[in-house]
Amino acid sequence: MQPMDNAYKPHLVTVEAITDETPDVRTLRLTFKDPNVAHAFTFRAGQFAEYSSFGDGECVFCIASPPTRKGYVECSFKLAGRVTTALRDAEVGDTLGFRGPYGNSFPIETFVGHNLLFIGGGIGMAPVRSIFENCLDLRDQFKEITILNGARSVADLVYKQQVAEWERRPDLRCVCTVDPGGETPDWKGEIGFIPTVLEKMAPSADDTYAVLCGPPIMIKLTLQTLAKLGFPPERIYTTLENRMKCGFGKCGRCNVGPVYVCKDGPVFSAAQLATLPPDM
Amino acid sequence: MSQTPKMLKDLGALAGAIMASGVSVVAPSAGPGPSRFRRLASAEELAMPRVNTQLPPKEHLFPPTEPLLRFRYRGTDVELTDPPLPAEKLVLLGVRPCDAAGIALLDAVFLADPTDPFYAARRANATIVAVGCARADDDCFCTAVGLSPHSSYGSDLLLLPAEGGYLAEAVTDKGRQLVAAHASLFTDAASARAAAPPKLQRASLDGVDEQLQAAFADARWAAIAARCLGCACCASVCPTCHCFDIADEASARSGVRLRSWDACGLEMFTKHTSGHNPRPNQPARFRQRVMHKLSYSVASLGRPLCVGCGRCISHCPVGMDIHQAAAQFATSG
Repeated sequence: MQPMDNAYKPHLVTVEAITDETPDVRTLRLTFKDPNVAHAFTFRAGQFAEYSSFGDGECVFCIASPPTRKGYVECSFKLAGRVTTALRDAEVGDTLGFRGPYGNSFPIETFVGHNLLFIGGGIGMAPVRSIFENCLDLRDQFKEITILNGARSVADLVYKQQVAEWERRPDLRCVCTVDPGGETPDWKGEIGFIPTVLEKMAPSADDTYAVLCGPPIMIKLTLQTLAKLGFPPERIYTTLENRMKCGFGKCGRCNVGPVYVCKDGPVFSAAQLATLPPDM
Repeated sequence: MSQTPKMLKDLGALAGAIMASGVSVVAPSAGPGPSRFRRLASAEELAMPRVNTQLPPKEHLFPPTEPLLRFRYRGTDVELTDPPLPAEKLVLLGVRPCDAAGIALLDAVFLADPTDPFYAARRANATIVAVGCARADDDCFCTAVGLSPHSSYGSDLLLLPAEGGYLAEAVTDKGRQLVAAHASLFTDAASARAAAPPKLQRASLDGVDEQLQAAFADARWAAIAARCLGCACCASVCPTCHCFDIADEASARSGVRLRSWDACGLEMFTKHTSGHNPRPNQPARFRQRVMHKLSYSVASLGRPLCVGCGRCISHCPVGMDIHQAAAQFATSG
């Protein structure tokens, strides 16, 4: 019988680097232990994986690094439950599990030749970062690129290292905002909720694709703002976060209407979202 | 290919012959607890219920808990081992047509790419011998979801009650092989006719998938599900429910990754660690159960993910009734 193709068996990965993004959000850079897997592994921006600490269980996060940067994958997660506590416990050199990539991805080929607007709220910046940096690595294929990165407070802004880099680049517009009351005395960015700041920025909807991710309430209100700015739902993409276990359409957990978020998503256009029951 | 109809006189004789050939027989039998399918130690243990067993045969293909992976820490390294694949050859004997259809629907989920290796191994080793129903319960509604007390969907060999025994219909190669292997038990019966199937009382749910879709926001869900306890009894007796959880059990050095049955009726099923729950109350969870079975799966699998066995109705401690709930939307549009 053996060896079998066990769809539930993760690849073993080594923690190569740890970055604390905020007091409760950490990024792990992981490399595959098996050189054959490391060589063959590919993914597309927007895809996700099941990350595991053996003995504690598995947890689903998007792959936060762009597919254009080879040799490793990164995940960013907020300290919340048993598995994220265990993943936070992992030190450089420790072994973790990685199962994936799963799900569909952002249609980057469709974005080619157009303006792009990226919007991320809190930890929702993780999937946005993957497709955003993917586009930056292929910068000459796109027209204007704008990114809006928001969080509750200055301390809660993720990817500060990358943001500093993005802010220096002349070929993109990077705006950061914090919720009112979340600013510090020396804060130089915007103060306001993402939909409000977005409305003020008033990006042109002409020839522009929008990508957004964040907490459910932020997605809901930002979709309304984008509609107000004239973005047609077919040109707005977001990625859904549902509780998942298997990652490939068996365990039933992420079923919403006729779709399974794990295999039919996690990336959906606002036009597709509008056809799903309000069950997310 | 037309064949001379075959008759099987005695189900127990078939069970005995299969066991004598070294293949396990899993069939309804008397025993402690709810009536269910058990591995027979002798053919005499076979005890076909009047209508159906309390539990479906699902647990023999998709056990309530099973290991997916074993792991052992070696310093900072980890060693992974696959659990052995189930290798036991067995015949599921005395399966009612609704439950056989339930297995076909589990196949549609677990054998789709990527294949679930554990289910696939059990399924490949199993032959399904269904026995058509001579009677029906008040809660039976297979005819409402496109099946019948004599349907062959999901069976390898279908035995229909007839004068003097069962009329045998080999549906698949596995079924034909089983008949060939025990040919002496199957006699030619050119003129044999199966008894008429029992008449079921419950109304058809044909077309209800679209009506349910339109009724997602209907205010009646709150009243329909007001008494639902969220105990998930319905899912544990269902021949098609297949949702599962994955969790680790471990000591400091080694452990096992297990999957266990889970259910959309349970509050934790969709609850995010953040506390956000997409289905925050019992009506939303009961609606998901009805919708997934009778509406969404018509779009995704081509037929309802419900076989009308009626167990979720018979066993519900507070009398929730999926057929009645759906039928309400079918008639009132």
